[in-house]
Amino acid sequence: MSKSTTVVQPSRLSVIWHKWRFHINVLLLLIPLGFMPRYFADQALFRGDSGLGEREIGEVQVGPWSLRLAEFRNEPPLPDGAAGYLKGFSAALCDACVEQVKATYLRIGKPRSLRAAGSIFFGTPYSMGTQMPVPDKTRADAELWITMEGWDGSMHQASIPLSQASPATVAWLNKQGAKP
Amino acid sequence: MSKKSRSKLWFLVHSWLALPIWFFVLIVCVTGTLAVVSQEIVWLVNPQMRATQPSDDAPLLGYDQIISAIKTAEPQLLVERISRPDESHFALEVNVSQPDGRSVTVYVNPYTGVIQGTAPDFNFRAFTRALHGWWLVPFTNGYSWGWYLVSFLALPMLASLVTGLVVYKRFWKGFFSPTLRLRHGARIFWGDFHRLSGIWSIWFIAVISVTAVWFLIEAILSDNHISISSEPVIAAMSREGVPLSADGSPPPRVSLDHAIEIAQQRIPGFEASTINLPGNAYSHLDIRGRGWYPLMFQSATLNPYSGEVAASRLLSDRTSLEFVTESMRPLHTGDFGGLWIKLIWFFFGLVLSMMVLSGLLIWTKRTALATANALKREHKKQRGQAQPALHREPSEVHL
Repeated sequence: MSKSTTVVQPSRLSVIWHKWRFHINVLLLLIPLGFMPRYFADQALFRGDSGLGEREIGEVQVGPWSLRLAEFRNEPPLPDGAAGYLKGFSAALCDACVEQVKATYLRIGKPRSLRAAGSIFFGTPYSMGTQMPVPDKTRADAELWITMEGWDGSMHQASIPLSQASPATVAWLNKQGAKP
Repeated sequence: MSKKSRSKLWFLVHSWLALPIWFFVLIVCVTGTLAVVSQEIVWLVNPQMRATQPSDDAPLLGYDQIISAIKTAEPQLLVERISRPDESHFALEVNVSQPDGRSVTVYVNPYTGVIQGTAPDFNFRAFTRALHGWWLVPFTNGYSWGWYLVSFLALPMLASLVTGLVVYKRFWKGFFSPTLRLRHGARIFWGDFHRLSGIWSIWFIAVISVTAVWFLIEAILSDNHISISSEPVIAAMSREGVPLSADGSPPPRVSLDHAIEIAQQRIPGFEASTINLPGNAYSHLDIRGRGWYPLMFQSATLNPYSGEVAASRLLSDRTSLEFVTESMRPLHTGDFGGLWIKLIWFFFGLVLSMMVLSGLLIWTKRTALATANALKREHKKQRGQAQPALHREPSEVHL
């Protein structure tokens, strides 16, 4: 028992520290508590309770068909390894097209053919999603092209400005500068 | 260094491994224990999840009968996945898409095809897994940092096991003469408890911490885009693989039961337990199930229009490294052999949680004792001058 530890009057702070130092880790519980609202918001988003996505773009007419389009997350594209940057969109088909539409695609810029129509949607006609690559040389005034293919082989296309489809993506493109 | 001081050092290391983070470790142990039986807890709370057999000889329905029963009851629902839980007292879990855009899980009776109810919005199983697995920290870019935080605990846990066995002299004797002294005060009781439950959980702590080390490695590999998988990427179906239909309606698909038969011809002994219906017109039908080796799944991927097998993933397709790594998760969760294995994992999960608590109790009791002793001595030495010696490190003093 060294004298220095007992003779020197310990400060109040050091008493508190020594008494509670092994209980400070209880504060780690604040992490899941803090993330809990986010967790439940995400679960609701994944389940579709809070709509198609975080930001509804609206109804887009594509030939005889139409679809409701939304940004899954109201945020810029995310990097995905070798695939580059991906941006998630979700969609729901019109009631009449549920049985008629074979596939729906998204692409930045007009597709040259059906074979290059872009990223295909996965899911059901009631709620489907796709991760669309956003090349970093995309211009802020680019168009988002929607291609819909019928079971009979027919094809219809429409486009909306990227700025309308995803302001967050355009802001991201402007910020990092359109690369040549 | 003398033998005695070396064992003192090991003792110190052992106590310091979990002490500063005991509450975090405890909550991770408790949530993990709950996660093991989370499905069973939901089953107890939610009668709709139970598979009641209408009569003793009622046979299980085939997957086509299930689909058509759902179609009859709720014509607008679109089925995305059917899973048959391992234990027969669970109803089928069917993921469906509703016209309002919501994706929900419904419980379907495997004998009658009746939709018994919708899974509650609060998914207890997913929540306990998320809390245990990544401390609820969201996955935004790669693995969540919560995942690293939790899986990192594998290292102090493994070190606790090793140092505990080093400190506990001739621990194997504890198997033959178990000691649990109840009437010698709390300090003695918790000490005995800690040692006794420790030696009986050697295997469990080893399994849990080694598999958790793998979860840490898995995250590091994935975040650095390093893959050890030998599984080929299955390309989407070609345009020619999907028939055109003149009248503009979707072409017919092979029946699910027929698809399972085709898969069984390819994979002997295959039992389909999960069916993933195609995600779009160009994607495949995916059938998964276990074979002779309960820790891994096998799968067959079929063209849903022709029934042609596009790919299969058998036990024999795995490299020996994959046999080890793919077995890690079921070994960690105890989900590979039905209810009894889960109950064993649950029991030892509780024991492990109590190990953390008893370790803490031993330390606090020892501290209290040491503090009291120190105070007594100070009183003797310098009457009236004694300070509460709270800031001393008693575990360094009284070993």
